[in-house]
Amino acid sequence: MNASLYAGGHAYNIFAERPGFFPVSGADLYTVLHEVKDPVARVLLVGPFTLERHTSYRAWVQWARYLAARRIEVLRYDYRGVGESTGIFEDMTFESWIDDVERLAGWLRKRGEDVPLLLHGLEMGGLLAAKTFHHGGSDALLLWSAPGDANEVLRSTLQRWMGPMQLLKREEERRPASHYFRLLEEGRSVEVQGYEWSAELWRQSLSVDLPAAMVPPNDPTKFYKKPVRMVKLGKNATPLVKGGVPGFEENKDFSFLFDPNYDWIVSSLGVPAERS
Amino acid sequence: MINDQTGMRQLTTLDGNGVLLHGTYHKPKSVATDGTPIPTKTIGVMFMNALSSPRSLVGDSGAYWATCFADRGYPSFRFDLPGLGDSYGEIPNDLLRFTNEGGYASVASSKAGELVERHRLSGVVMFGHCAGATTAIYAASNCSYCKGLVLMDPYFNLPKALTATLRPGLVLWARRSKVGAMVRTTYDRVRELPSAIRKGALPTNANFSLISRFKQVVSRGVPLLIFKAHQPAGSGTVTAGFDYLAYISSCAARTNHFSIRTIEDTDHSFANRAGRLAVRQHTETWLSEYFPEEAAASAPLLPGQDAQVHAPLTLGTPLITRISPGD
Repeated sequence: MNASLYAGGHAYNIFAERPGFFPVSGADLYTVLHEVKDPVARVLLVGPFTLERHTSYRAWVQWARYLAARRIEVLRYDYRGVGESTGIFEDMTFESWIDDVERLAGWLRKRGEDVPLLLHGLEMGGLLAAKTFHHGGSDALLLWSAPGDANEVLRSTLQRWMGPMQLLKREEERRPASHYFRLLEEGRSVEVQGYEWSAELWRQSLSVDLPAAMVPPNDPTKFYKKPVRMVKLGKNATPLVKGGVPGFEENKDFSFLFDPNYDWIVSSLGVPAERS
Repeated sequence: MINDQTGMRQLTTLDGNGVLLHGTYHKPKSVATDGTPIPTKTIGVMFMNALSSPRSLVGDSGAYWATCFADRGYPSFRFDLPGLGDSYGEIPNDLLRFTNEGGYASVASSKAGELVERHRLSGVVMFGHCAGATTAIYAASNCSYCKGLVLMDPYFNLPKALTATLRPGLVLWARRSKVGAMVRTTYDRVRELPSAIRKGALPTNANFSLISRFKQVVSRGVPLLIFKAHQPAGSGTVTAGFDYLAYISSCAARTNHFSIRTIEDTDHSFANRAGRLAVRQHTETWLSEYFPEEAAASAPLLPGQDAQVHAPLTLGTPLITRISPGD
């Protein structure tokens, strides 16, 4: 088997991907380290929430490989209670998810050479990464489609899930999204595609928002005196963002997105770029 | 600090024939607790990716079922096929067509052989949902290690009849929008009209290659368990299509090896509480009927005695259900 394959014209060692379980209080986080020899930087990828994890998985992994092929070591992981990680989803809190990001960032930073650490969050992961960055957890921050608050993600996720669900119900049994929002507000849990959303999660989501310094027209780079980049992904970025068609877009060429973001990472961190 | 194991789950790879797959091995209780290896002549359960889904499947139901089956004595394996989930590999632009043509069959059947040899299994039951069922059928038809099939909402038509001649943008619109869905349904019905007139013949958009492979599997007498999500009358998804399962079951060598279960109160993903639990219970019963050694070795249910099983949903949501022997 040839260990060195090519990711966008760069040598890439598929055997340097190290899946593992990272123990945290009461659970084990599923992690994949894309190990790099003599890295110029490290990146912790904080992915999207439940349904979006599922649809964006391949593109997110492609991004990790793209970076690793350019000497940027990457750690990606599954939220506690989601995917391959253990834990009971309905017991989850945003506090524990933010705590997980902090622990993983701390672990990644201490892995050998003293190189800059970047946090990169997508969608809900953007909020978790932003909170950690705000508390000094990294040297730079990259956000793709981070919402204003976590409730935005829950609402849009529920609405997206409901569309096909409505088709499966008799007309008299169909309920608008507002029905489910009301149930959550009344303190009841709602099951969304296999995940039991607790009323407590819903309540917390209202107060988990972007730090004020990252809300326009504020300039986060000026405020934190560290590189911050916030990108709103368009429809052309499906299935990294909502709206993808399974089975049809997994092989998309994301160089239009990856290349400029990679250029920003190396230039803002002041590390050498790897050219093919 | 990072381990490759937690509880009964172990991260693992299969790297035979130049293809590296990442996956998760759910050890049966006997292995996890006292370190003894799997006894020989044990059947394993091998999960397939459903189209582009990572190996945890929608709502992490794959992880849930694998945990449950391992708990009942059946070592369970969830691997990402090449290019999917954590496994490296190129995939074609049209993944659906690739899967419908059996693109993953050879790697799935060769990896089944690798699993059997490595873990000294008596064979595997292939477990596939939707497009994963398609892969499981193709693989089973060419794999003597496959001793059983569990299929969830398998389909036997080629849904992409429209795409050959249309612009990709129009195809996306047809797949995404409600009006597009209506156009597709109408188109499919018009295409099926000649077959409806020629009673008994397969529709023109049938996946003939898949059906032929499925017939091979059925005629071999491989035990089959098929789940269908109930589509209530009056919902937007019920179509008066060709009954492929009735057609194929008529070819079964032993009809008692062909079980179809329709699950109420769930959807195509089977990921909600009702779907997960029903699939779990029926599959466990089916496994203990056709592969009884493993169930007997783990947690036997005495005749006439019910067992209370705490079934963690999403690996945790407590739910108490009752399972009776021979249910």
